[in-house]
Amino acid sequence: MLDKKLILGVYDDGDKLLNAVIKLRKKGVEIMDCFTPFPVHNLDRAMGIKRTNLTVGAFLCGMTGFLSGLLLQFYMMTSHLNTFKSWPMIIGGKPMDYSMVPSMVPVTFELSILFTAFGIGILFFIRAKMIHGKIAQILDPRQTDDRMLLAIEPDGLGSVSRSEVDSIMNAEGAIEIRERNMDGSSDH
Amino acid sequence: MFEANIRKPLVTGGKTLTDVSNDICRPIENKPTKLWWLGFSISFLLLMVFVGTIGWTTWEGIGTWGVNKSVMWGWDITNFVFWVGIGHAGTLISAILLLFRQKWRMSINRSAEAMTIFAVICAAMFPLFHMGRVWLGYWPLPLPNAFGSLWVNFNSPLLWDVFAISTYFSVSLLFWYLGLIPDIATVRDRATSKARKFWYGFFAMGWNGSARNWHRYEVVALILAGVSTPLVLSVHTIVSMDFATSVIPGWHTTIFPPYFVAGAIFSGFGMVLTLLVIARSVLNLQDYITVEHLEAMTKVVMLTGSMVGLAYLTEFFIAFYSGVEYEQYAFRNRAFGPYWWAYWTMMSCNLLAPQVFWFKWARTTPWFIFIMSIIVNIGMWFERFVIIVTSLHRDYLPSSWVMYSATWVEVGIFLGTMGLFFTAFFLFSKFLPVVNMAEIKSILKSRE
Repeated sequence: MLDKKLILGVYDDGDKLLNAVIKLRKKGVEIMDCFTPFPVHNLDRAMGIKRTNLTVGAFLCGMTGFLSGLLLQFYMMTSHLNTFKSWPMIIGGKPMDYSMVPSMVPVTFELSILFTAFGIGILFFIRAKMIHGKIAQILDPRQTDDRMLLAIEPDGLGSVSRSEVDSIMNAEGAIEIRERNMDGSSDH
Repeated sequence: MFEANIRKPLVTGGKTLTDVSNDICRPIENKPTKLWWLGFSISFLLLMVFVGTIGWTTWEGIGTWGVNKSVMWGWDITNFVFWVGIGHAGTLISAILLLFRQKWRMSINRSAEAMTIFAVICAAMFPLFHMGRVWLGYWPLPLPNAFGSLWVNFNSPLLWDVFAISTYFSVSLLFWYLGLIPDIATVRDRATSKARKFWYGFFAMGWNGSARNWHRYEVVALILAGVSTPLVLSVHTIVSMDFATSVIPGWHTTIFPPYFVAGAIFSGFGMVLTLLVIARSVLNLQDYITVEHLEAMTKVVMLTGSMVGLAYLTEFFIAFYSGVEYEQYAFRNRAFGPYWWAYWTMMSCNLLAPQVFWFKWARTTPWFIFIMSIIVNIGMWFERFVIIVTSLHRDYLPSSWVMYSATWVEVGIFLGTMGLFFTAFFLFSKFLPVVNMAEIKSILKSRE
């Protein structure tokens, strides 16, 4: 996979990149990916990226946190789950049944948020295949600084000829078009 | 999107993408300046004061403090609430202003979030060491222990606070780190030295700016902002419940949660202004943190200051209107009792002083904003002192009325946490980009 060639259009402006993507997609060119130093608005929609379902994951994590919070407190503070192994905690004569549910609100709430936040964080790192110490696949060292790359695989061109792709990219203000291997090395 | 020309640009000086990276990465890629060393040395010295006084407290015990059996919370909990309050601006700026699509947040959110994290660390020190035996600090966690299954008490607001503060700290840290990843990757790819390439590469987690990841990243940021918004409001609400759920006159009021949240935002923005007015000139960031940014923050300070002021007056009115003698006495004692000076310092710093921000000159003059921000910090410290000490020193039983004053150890610990806070901030400004480069690059052409 690493020796696969990529056609790279290099831009210095997000709007130009976006326009190039829109034009190329209209012609039927499949865009492999774009690499930008900042999130370019609407680029994901223009590239036809499907909306991530991380939000569903966040909801499930939140529900897990909510239920864990309730379970934790029912387990520790009441006898509803038949879990009193030793000492019930009678503090200030306060009840130890469902009437203490209002006291459970803060901790349940905080745990829901804790689980949602860390759940989605971890899911994001898994989906984006990111981990500490991973060596980044960089096509151009300036792609995280001030250049934007538009990457097309040669077999994503469809019926469009290579020269036509070049002329569309140039018309939208590409400062350079070059070929690269997937790992960032060039063989000429 | 249409943007009227009457609106001022968010970033001045006609910066390009390259300029942004160069300007923001300069402190990281160069040796620190003399001014940095001076500030860092002073902060580090104060940090050593913290180590000394907290060490003495741990060795000798809480008897080294001025607290007694009536005023069992003194400077420690005052400082705890003070620091937690300061810790509210960061998440407010990055989460709530993100949901409201306020683009001016983008040049200040990074440093404000860093401030949040350091402030919460400072805050946590106080209740932790107030326990006396800090090595048993894990006892508030719901762990099964050796005494049978004796669990923590979920009816206690102090335990809610443990959950609230630790959730707030860890979620803020995650939010901050997530925001840092693209910028760390920028530093990595610009790095010339091997060490920098390795360490920034390690923490960048392989980020390469792919559009697919940006898409996911933005969804995650939005969700984190969505959950952080109620979180930030809940944290100070729960802190206020430490007081409001008790039956001490002056504490037992339902107005506390919104009043504390407004106060937290007020003090948080006060501290953000203190830091940023200095940082923008020391680090040459005037084009990124413009006077417009300062002006927007002063408006928030004025609004929340007035809300806090309204809460002070409402409390007074309700004490009168309730007809409860103890409440009435508590408030009369606050204003005209032995701690009258603390009360009037609070009133003038928090309610009166921010009203100068009705004038455009006051909102747009950095040195004046800096002085005002110090006044706000002082006022908010006194607010917590007034609430805690004046309510405790005279409650129901006149035979237990006492006075409280701090010892040198308590003063040292407080100054020491200032040292901890600023040492952390100086290290942050040296090793991490103080402005969110990725976000700033996306709004270079936008107006406010």
